[in-house]
Amino acid sequence: MPDIAIFTDNLEIYMKGFGNTVWASVIALLGSFALGTIIAVFRISSVKPLRWIGTAYVEFVRNIPLLLVVFVFYYGLPSVGVTLSGFICGTVGLTVYTASFVAEAIRAGIMSIPAGQTEAARASGLTYMQTMRHVVLPQAIKIVIPPLSNQFINLVKNSSVLGVFAGFDLMYYGDQVASKTYATFDTYLFVAALYLVLTIPLSLAALQLERRLAKNG
Amino acid sequence: MIEFRQVEKHYGDFHVLKGIDLSIAQGEVVVVVGPSGSGKSTLLRCINRLEGITSGTLTVNEVNVADKKADINKLRREIGMVFQHFNLYPHMKVVDNITLAPMKSLGVPKPQAVETAEMYLEKVGISDKASAFPSQLSGGQQQRVAIARALAMKPKIMLFDEPTSALDPEMVGEVLDVMKTLAQEGMTMVVVTHEMGFAREVADRVVFMDKGQIVEISPPEEFFEQPREERARLFLNRVLRH
Repeated sequence: MPDIAIFTDNLEIYMKGFGNTVWASVIALLGSFALGTIIAVFRISSVKPLRWIGTAYVEFVRNIPLLLVVFVFYYGLPSVGVTLSGFICGTVGLTVYTASFVAEAIRAGIMSIPAGQTEAARASGLTYMQTMRHVVLPQAIKIVIPPLSNQFINLVKNSSVLGVFAGFDLMYYGDQVASKTYATFDTYLFVAALYLVLTIPLSLAALQLERRLAKNG
Repeated sequence: MIEFRQVEKHYGDFHVLKGIDLSIAQGEVVVVVGPSGSGKSTLLRCINRLEGITSGTLTVNEVNVADKKADINKLRREIGMVFQHFNLYPHMKVVDNITLAPMKSLGVPKPQAVETAEMYLEKVGISDKASAFPSQLSGGQQQRVAIARALAMKPKIMLFDEPTSALDPEMVGEVLDVMKTLAQEGMTMVVVTHEMGFAREVADRVVFMDKGQIVEISPPEEFFEQPREERARLFLNRVLRH
């Protein structure tokens, strides 16, 4: 039985970390969704340079470890005179990293819509943008929700990378509690429980959304 | 109304359309037949620039289709198209399928667009399906919705790309009936099909294509009774024998 006192005695520390993890996750989630959508649109663009930028982004960023992406911001930027906090570097790194996966999920969703849909819409006189907005994206979003929710669950867990860079997140404060109490195992059990408090509702919300969209045709 | 002059099209090394000359007048029903891979669908898809042409000129309603500066969306509003696989929007109800383009492309207000949609659904004989989703309809019903969707833009020309090829045999008739009515009302139609009965009965002219070329253009009686070209005879022998 884990010692609940470790949690209650250090509640304030735990909650500080929890709050920052929520913040970092929300910022990175919104940021990576926006950035990922832009990169996805770049990747399927008929303009070649945009396609190259999109492809280069995805292939570089998703093929190096998250830790190293954050390294670039934490250790790389000071060499050009910009020093940012661990929290900011971690959150930005997480955003940039997750965006590459989000972009691939969204691109795959768009590509999976049969060409006939676009042809029918364009043949009726709708513009490219109208076709995307009214015909392609509403169908793609249903397909994209499961892989996207995966990415966002990963994102919440990956936010623990902030702990490495003094990002004051849940993992960082978990380390503090552990070194204070020496009850390493119990301390991290509570850390894990707090991550679950974030990720399980996220899973359920995605499932709910998936069901609701599936009902409409 | 539609004018092909020495139109050529290549897909890489593949020469899909060779020296196409064809002019189609207003109110005319032209049925394009020929073996698969002969370029019939490609010919049709050039008319609204779903496919570009490599050389030659193609004018539709006095607009040079290949001209980069041509307002292609404006031109497409005047050309309805019906596809082999219907291509209804599965996430929208039947009525929304029909009102989308008139509302977004022509700026028709919603109540009016819905009224028009209901009128055309009535015309194709499925006025009770307005609030169904496409997946709830049979193939024949879906194709009739697709025809209503194209008509709701009040086009000057209708293109049909093998509209009955994906249908169960018992549903072919209901779609062809709608098309016959349209033809009788004077719609300019270009129809790619394997339905020889329809071609014989409805076409003003039959265009026979083979290997990317127009081999023969004849009135249907002539084409089916005494085709001029050997290739047309061989083709008819194959398709009419069963």
